[in-house]
Amino acid sequence: MLIPRFNYHKPSNLKEACEMKAEFKNKAVFLAGGTDVIVNLKRGVISPDNIISLNSIAEITSNSVNDKKGQTIIGAGSKVAGLVNEKFLLPYSALKTAMENIGSPIIRNLATIGGNIVNARPAADTSPSLIAYKATAVLNSVSGKREVSMDDFFLGVGRTVLNDNEVLSAIILNSHPIYSGSAYIKFGTRKALEISLVNVAAVITLEKPDGPIADARIVMGAVGPVPLRAKTAEKVLIGEKPGIGVFAKAAEAASSKDCSPIDDFRGSAEYRRDMIKVLTERALKKALSDIR
Amino acid sequence: MKRLINITVNQKKYELAVDSNMTLADMLREELKLTGTKKGCGLGECGACTVILDGKPVSSCLVLAIEADNRDVVTIEGVETENGLHPIQQAFVDHGAIQCGFCTPGMVLSSKALLDQNPHPDEQDIRKAISGNLCRCTGYQKIVEAVQSVAAQKSAHK
Repeated sequence: MLIPRFNYHKPSNLKEACEMKAEFKNKAVFLAGGTDVIVNLKRGVISPDNIISLNSIAEITSNSVNDKKGQTIIGAGSKVAGLVNEKFLLPYSALKTAMENIGSPIIRNLATIGGNIVNARPAADTSPSLIAYKATAVLNSVSGKREVSMDDFFLGVGRTVLNDNEVLSAIILNSHPIYSGSAYIKFGTRKALEISLVNVAAVITLEKPDGPIADARIVMGAVGPVPLRAKTAEKVLIGEKPGIGVFAKAAEAASSKDCSPIDDFRGSAEYRRDMIKVLTERALKKALSDIR
Repeated sequence: MKRLINITVNQKKYELAVDSNMTLADMLREELKLTGTKKGCGLGECGACTVILDGKPVSSCLVLAIEADNRDVVTIEGVETENGLHPIQQAFVDHGAIQCGFCTPGMVLSSKALLDQNPHPDEQDIRKAISGNLCRCTGYQKIVEAVQSVAAQKSAHK
């Protein structure tokens, strides 16, 4: 498969990358891990005049923990395979599981967390967890930087709030609250190189070790154009003591009220809806047992 | 427009002029004539083009050759030692883990990368490590057994 010709640019810092993007706008595509960009080039889905490689920019490929605020800053260009083994991500079980489920080992060695997000695929593995954790995306341009909540990041299939002069440089995770646990369940027909039929990320935070539930976030993937919050289900949970009964009620709400799946070759809408119920309940149970 | 890159392949340094739209897989096969790296799907789904890039197995069909500037690549041609086949290659032969052979270079390199990181993997570790490499002949069992036998040899030598 041939790749169309393009001009290749390799900025060495974020400022240069922003200047290039400001100049070329929609005539340029950023290249990070390449596991989507190269495929899209080969398939003719994209044929940009310019490719801007982000792989020599230390600001984008490094991670840090801000001890004062307790925030974890993940460089958008960080490789998924490397992140999975990072100690600072240990408390974030849902995100860790999500990253372990991307592609295959030889894909994860190339793929970046930022790439998984900016592609804005409805079935993307990391997006539901990041929304569930109330993570923030950092977008840079020549005129400065802005932070956007992951809740508001996705606009539609393949569409995000990123303007054509902006680059996603980092993702900020808030400090992990105490009495909080999370889980991510990906459902597909095989274990590797799979695109989710549906997926669910859940985070629950208790007021004190034996409940009640102070905060709950459930995010469902592949049942709408963007990852969807199960807001009715979340309301069912908040204020209640965690347990099988209330989890089943929340799962029912997520399935009947919060998701809007469609039929496609991976599965029917009806089946997806049923699986949301099963997976939401399981994810909540797992999130509860993840509280430490 | 061609660009000059410096790349180490199988411990040999090369300076090459490559087109920006050439993949690492094509560079290895066409410029260096290292045709042990196979091209299957071209989309990162089959693992036939696996090479070890800076110590990590990757799909070389998804890497631009220019992005491999100043990096280190090991292909299947680079794993043989002066004493003959690499122990993993020999184990594949001994266990009948090769049928048509098209997935074999990728399988060997993914297995090598695993054993370099973790000399004593269990069966699940092995299956996970080769989960990005598709084989349509063997049903994987003999491949897993071959890698297990190398891991066992390593334990015996300890």
